Amino acid sequence: MTINSTINSLLEALIVIGPLLGSIAYVTIAERKIMGSMQRRIGPNKVGYYGLLQAFADALKLLVKELVLPSNTDKILFVLAPMISLVCGLLVWTLIPYGKGLVIADFSLGIVTILAISSVAAYGIILAGWASNNKYSFIGSLRATAQLISYEVVFGLIILLVIFFVGSFNLTTIIESQKAIWYIVPLFPIALMFLIAILAESNRAPFDLPESESELTAGFMTEYSAFPFVFFFLAEYGAIVFLSTLSSILFLGGYLVPGIESNGLMTGLSLGFKTSFILFLFIWIRASFPRLRYDQLMSSIWSKMLPIVIAFSILIPCIVKAFEIY
Amino acid sequence: MNSFLFYFILVPVIVIALLGLNLFFAQSKPNEEKLTTFECGFSPVEQARQKFSIHFYLVGILFLVFDLEVLLLFPAAVSMNSISQSGFWILLFFLIVLTVGFIYEYSSGALNYTNKDKES
Repeated sequence: MTINSTINSLLEALIVIGPLLGSIAYVTIAERKIMGSMQRRIGPNKVGYYGLLQAFADALKLLVKELVLPSNTDKILFVLAPMISLVCGLLVWTLIPYGKGLVIADFSLGIVTILAISSVAAYGIILAGWASNNKYSFIGSLRATAQLISYEVVFGLIILLVIFFVGSFNLTTIIESQKAIWYIVPLFPIALMFLIAILAESNRAPFDLPESESELTAGFMTEYSAFPFVFFFLAEYGAIVFLSTLSSILFLGGYLVPGIESNGLMTGLSLGFKTSFILFLFIWIRASFPRLRYDQLMSSIWSKMLPIVIAFSILIPCIVKAFEIY
Repeated sequence: MNSFLFYFILVPVIVIALLGLNLFFAQSKPNEEKLTTFECGFSPVEQARQKFSIHFYLVGILFLVFDLEVLLLFPAAVSMNSISQSGFWILLFFLIVLTVGFIYEYSSGALNYTNKDKES
């Protein structure tokens, strides 16, 4: 390994992580600004021009806050849990193709790796709830875990349905196979259900039961302060950005620009626009819908969405086989 | 692959460095009151790790069954072009058995979150 290639690899890693953390920061500002506009407020507008530096000001404020380790917590797990969440949340970005060949790890089992890493992220939440030794944290983490694993089933099955069309786990292949038509057209009901599933996967409103403010203080994050809290915060918003990117890859053709054979900057911009659109949907939905009750949340997944997805998982192989799509 | 390895090492390093920065810049003045478990202004009563609803456990078991099903379907999904007609019928049979299992679970009330059935 020469020094040149080492520096190259380091730069490649930094080129992904830097803009990623920046985009997470700006998603938080975008959320506050858009929610502000939708509720006829101004939103943050003091720090920097038009409030653009608000997220960095918040981060700096939390940097000088005291890290409180409550006396009856499991100290090691308490600090480890947010780190697991954040590390898993950042690791999945290695597999996202930003253009043809513009991917850090072009695994042939890309989607399976994503599913594996995002399942490990659930450990962060379980450990946080257990280590905090607090009733709110405990109930919050139980709720979050039950919700995550329930929607993981639908999430996995929907990805499987797309794989039935593609015949490969590689993300670049999935995108390239959408040159003729984006999968949102033949799989429209599935795409809508995927949107609901990712809303629940990322614990967003109207599915933000784990931290419904009035009931559970802050859910599994109750005991956290300073940077461990920032880690959870970054992991949560990172998951939102990641799941939007994933759904734009699975259903909106990823980096493809319709009608044009594009490369370089255009591919990245295309992926960015599609992702931003889904991110805007996330915020719009949060501003529009009231929160579900917990039993409604669980019954909507197990007895409404799951039967439909199972029905589709019988229908779609039949269609693929009948028309010999390959 | 090389960049992947770098990324894999760099991410935990960044996370630990951020935590270190926080420990360096922030003051630390713990006192007994500050370190007690938060409970809406009360002194904490009872243990936090107590009994919880059986439904959470049930959801865990159901998840195990269904995720295993998804796992078993993944190889079939990528080999749809190479499996013959018989392979396709086996896949379909597998899915139908699962559907029957799901109908059993549904009608046994395992997916019912409220206790309406028991009361009436």
